[in-house]
Amino acid sequence: MTQLLVTQILNGIIVGTLYGIIALGVTLTFGITGIVNFALGQFMMVGAYAAWYLTDVVGLPYPVALLPAVGVAALAGLVVDQLLFRFTRDNLVNGLLVSIGLIAVFESTALLIWTSSPKEMNFVMSGSLSFAGISLPKTKIVVFATLSAVIFLTFLALMRTWLGRAAYAYSQNPEAARLMGVRTQLLQSGVVVYSCALAGLGGALYVSLYSLEPFLGGMYILKGVEAAILGGIGSLVGSLVGGILLGVIEAVGSIYLPTAFRDAYGLILVVIVLIFRPSGLFGER
Amino acid sequence: MLFWILCLAVPLVVKAEFILTIFIFGFILGVLAISFNVIFGYAGQLSMFNAAAFGISAYATFLSMERLHVSFWGGLVIALVLVAILSVIIGAICFKFQLKAFYFALVTMAFAELARLVIMNWGSLTKGTLGILVLQKPTLGFGDMAIKIDSTLGWYYFSLAALFLSALVCRGIVKSWIGRAFEAIRLNEDLAQTLGIDIFRYKLLAFTIANLLAGVAGALFAFYTGYIEPSYLSTTQSLDVIAMVLIGGAGTVLGPVFGAFILTGLPHVIELSAEIRSIAFGTILILTILLLPRGVGGSLKMLTIPWWKRLRERRAAGRAA
Amino acid sequence: MRFSGFAAFAGAALLVTTAFAQDVVKIGQIEAQTGPNSVNGWMSSQGVPMAVDEINKAGGFQVAGKKYKLELISLDTRGDPKEATVQIKRLIERDKVKFVFGPFLSNVFATILPYAEQFNGKFLLMGGATRAHEYLGKPGYEFVVRTWSWDTGPQGFGELMTDYVKKLGTKKIAMLMQNDQGGQVVASIYEDLFKKAGIETKLEFFEPGTKDFSAALAKLAAWKPDLLFPGYNDSVMYDIMRQSTEGNYFRRFMVARGSMGPCLKNKAEIDDCIVYVPKYFEEAEKTNDKVKKFVAAYKAFYKRDFPYDQAPICSQSCYDHVYMLVAAMQKAGTVDDVTAIRKALLSITYEGLWKISFDEKGEQIFDFDVVHMKRNGEIKVTTIDPPRK
Repeated sequence: MTQLLVTQILNGIIVGTLYGIIALGVTLTFGITGIVNFALGQFMMVGAYAAWYLTDVVGLPYPVALLPAVGVAALAGLVVDQLLFRFTRDNLVNGLLVSIGLIAVFESTALLIWTSSPKEMNFVMSGSLSFAGISLPKTKIVVFATLSAVIFLTFLALMRTWLGRAAYAYSQNPEAARLMGVRTQLLQSGVVVYSCALAGLGGALYVSLYSLEPFLGGMYILKGVEAAILGGIGSLVGSLVGGILLGVIEAVGSIYLPTAFRDAYGLILVVIVLIFRPSGLFGER
Repeated sequence: MLFWILCLAVPLVVKAEFILTIFIFGFILGVLAISFNVIFGYAGQLSMFNAAAFGISAYATFLSMERLHVSFWGGLVIALVLVAILSVIIGAICFKFQLKAFYFALVTMAFAELARLVIMNWGSLTKGTLGILVLQKPTLGFGDMAIKIDSTLGWYYFSLAALFLSALVCRGIVKSWIGRAFEAIRLNEDLAQTLGIDIFRYKLLAFTIANLLAGVAGALFAFYTGYIEPSYLSTTQSLDVIAMVLIGGAGTVLGPVFGAFILTGLPHVIELSAEIRSIAFGTILILTILLLPRGVGGSLKMLTIPWWKRLRERRAAGRAA
Repeated sequence: MRFSGFAAFAGAALLVTTAFAQDVVKIGQIEAQTGPNSVNGWMSSQGVPMAVDEINKAGGFQVAGKKYKLELISLDTRGDPKEATVQIKRLIERDKVKFVFGPFLSNVFATILPYAEQFNGKFLLMGGATRAHEYLGKPGYEFVVRTWSWDTGPQGFGELMTDYVKKLGTKKIAMLMQNDQGGQVVASIYEDLFKKAGIETKLEFFEPGTKDFSAALAKLAAWKPDLLFPGYNDSVMYDIMRQSTEGNYFRRFMVARGSMGPCLKNKAEIDDCIVYVPKYFEEAEKTNDKVKKFVAAYKAFYKRDFPYDQAPICSQSCYDHVYMLVAAMQKAGTVDDVTAIRKALLSITYEGLWKISFDEKGEQIFDFDVVHMKRNGEIKVTTIDPPRK
C-alpha cells in the first residue's frame, strides 16, 4: 500500500507541474495585464499540435521540434494580444469573455483541421525507471525536470533581471512604474506572449505523455486557474506549489475515494481555500 | 410593445410545427437569458451558476412530481424553494468574503460543477448520465377543468406567457429602487458602499432572483423537451447563456431575448457544421464585446435616439474614460 | 423574426437529389455529423449518400411495376437534442418522409421520441441508439427499428466475445469505464455478461476527460485480474493501454468498442489484445470482393483516403441499410405501406458488406470480427456469424 501511495504522490507531483506551468501563465498575465487569460489552455493545445505535427508528420526529432512548437504558440499569443487583448487591459470581465470566444474559435479550428480522432505521437522514450518497487515512466521524469527547470528559470529571471524587476514594479504600482520609464505596453504584450509560450511548452511536453485531442485546453486551463488560486494569484512560487498540491490531492483522493470524482477533490479544496484564505496560500493578505 | 403583439400573432400565420418549436425554445431560453441579465447585465456580477439553477430546478421539479406526487406547479414551487436556499447559501459564501469579480465567477463555476457531479453520480435519485424521461405535462386549472399543456400551440402560449411574466418582473426590478442599487453596484462597487448601499444584501438579492428565473426556465425546458440530463448544468450551457445576453444586449430587458432567438434559430436558417458554427459563435462573441459593447439589442436601441443626443452621450462617455 | 429566412431552409439543407419526372422515395437522415459526439453519425452520413447515389445512377429501383428514385435529406443534429427535435418535425411534417435513418445518440433519441411516437405506423425510425433497445417490441413503438446488435442475448456480440475469452481460460476481468452514459451502459451490460459466464469482475469509473489513469490502474491491478477492459472508445484507450504497459499494470486487454489503433500502437508491450470490431476492414479488403469494391467506391466518391478506423461503424444505419430498405419495399410491393415494409424488412437476410437480418423485435443481427493481436502485432481474425432464427 505504501508503494501505491508513494507512486501516486510522485505521479501527482509530476502531473502537478503541468498544472503549475499553466498556473504560472495565469498569474503572470493577471499581475501585469489585469485579466485572466482563460484561453491559455488553447495555446497549450496549439503547442501540443505543433509539436506532434513537427515530430510525426514532418519528421523532426522530438527535442528539436520543441522549440518551434513553443514558437508557434508564442506567435499565436502575439497575434491574439495585438488584435484583441490589447483592448481589454484591466477589464476583467471583457477579458474573460474574449477568452471564452477564443476558446470556441481555437477548439473548433483544431477540430476542423485534425478531427476529434486522438493523435498519439510516436513514443519518445519508452520504459520506466524502477526503484524500491516503485516505477515511473522515463518520459514523465524528463517532462517534470524540464518544466520545473523552466519555472525556476522564470522565477530567477523575474528576480534578477532588469525586465523582471520592471515587471514586478509594474504589478505593484503601475503609475509609478510608468513614471519611472517602464515601457508598459511592451511589458504587457511581452507578458502575454511569454505566458502563451509557457503554455505552449506545457502542451509540447504533454504530447509526449498522452494522446492529443482538441479539447485538451479546456481541462488544463481549469486546473491551471485552480492551481493559481490555491497558490495565490499574485504569487509565482504559489503557482508551482498550487499546481503540485492540486496534482497530489487528486492522485491521493483517487486512491482512497472513488476515481469517478477525481476533479471534485481539487474543486472542493479550492473552494475551501477561497473561503478561508482568499488570497491563496502564498498570496499577500 | 410591438414585440409581444407580433409573438401573439405568429401562430395565426405560421402553421408549421417545427417553426413554432423554434419559437418555443426561443421563449424558454429567453427566460434563462433574462435571468442571467439580472445578475450580470444589471448588477454587474459574472455568475456561472445560472445553468446549474436551470438544471437543478429541472430535476427537482420532476423528482418532486414523481416522488412526492405533487402537480407540476407544486413541483416547481419546491424546486424554486430549493434553488432559493442554495442561492442564499452560495451567495452568502461568495459575497461575505467579498470575492471580487473573477473569484466570484470561479466560485460559482466550482459550485455549478460540484452540483453537476453530484447529480451525475447520484444515480439512484437522478439516473445519472442516463437522464430522465419526463412524460408528465403541466396542467392549468383545477380538477376537472384542468387543461394539459401538451400540444405545440399550448406550449407556444404557455412559454410566451412565462417569458412575458419574466420580462415584467425584470422590468419591475429595473425601474425600482432595487434596480438603481444594482446599477450603482455595477458601475462602482466601492462608491456604492460609501453611499450607504448594503452591497452584500443587494448582490445576494440579484443572485437569488437570477437563479429563480433560471429555475423557472429549467422546469419549462425539461417538461417541454421531455428529457433531462446532467449536461443541463454544464459550463457550456452557461457559456451559451452568456453569449445570448451579450449578443442581444446586456443592458436592456428584451435584448437577451433577441440573443436567445438568434442563438436558437440561426442554426436552422444557416446550416453549418458544428465546428464552423462554433468558430462563428466565438468570433461574433469577441466582435460584440470589442465593437458593440451594448450588444445588438442595445445598439438597435441606440438607433432610436436622435443623432444629436447620441453624439452628446458619446462625448460624455469619452470624457469619463 | 423574418419568415423569409426560413424559406432558406430548403436551399440550405444538405440535399442529395436526383428526382425529376420520376417518382421519388424520400429518406431522411438525422445524425450528429459534426461536434464532439459525431464519430458514429459521421460514418453513417458518409455511407448512406453513396448507396443512394449508386442506386439512382443504376436507374433507380422497381416496386410493383413502377420505377422510383431515392432522395436523401440529411440533417446534422450536431449532437444537440433540441436541434434534433426541430429537425425531426421538419422531416415528418414538411418533407413528408417515411423512412428516417438515425439517430445514434441516445439522448437525441430520447428527446425526439415523444414526438415520433405520434406517428407510429406512418414512418420508420431506423437508428442505432442504445436507448432504442428498450422500446423494441413494445406496442405503439413499431416504428422503432434498431440498426445495431445488442451485446447480450444469444446473438449478442458481447456474449459471443465473452465465450471467446472464457475459452482462453479467463477468470477475472477488470473494467475501467468513463462515468458517462455510454460507459455506464457498457459497464452494466458487461458486468452481467461476465457474471453469467462465471467470470469475476471489478469495476472502476473515471471522469470523462481524464488523461492520467495511474491511480485507477494501480487499484485495479492490485486485484490481479487476467484482462483489462479499458473504456469504450479510442480516445481513452490509447492512454489507458500505454499507461498500463508503462506502469507494468496490465498487458492483456479485451476491447468491445473502439478500434485496433490503440493495440497496434502499443504492440511491443502488449501480450494479448482481443478486440471486437464489426469488420476488420484491413483484412476483409483482401478477402472479400464486396468490401474491396466499397473501399474503391468510397475513395472515388469522396476523393479522400478510406477511413479504416471509422468504417466498422458503417454497420449501423449506413450503406447496406439503404439497399436493404429497397429490398424490403420490393418484397412488400409498396413504398407507402410502412407496416408491410417493416414486416418485409424483418423477414429478409441481406448480404452486403455485412450479413444483416433483424430479430422479431426489430433489432439487428450481423456478423462481426474478433481480432486477436499478440505481442509485436501478430493478428488473427475470427469472423463470427451469430445464430439466426
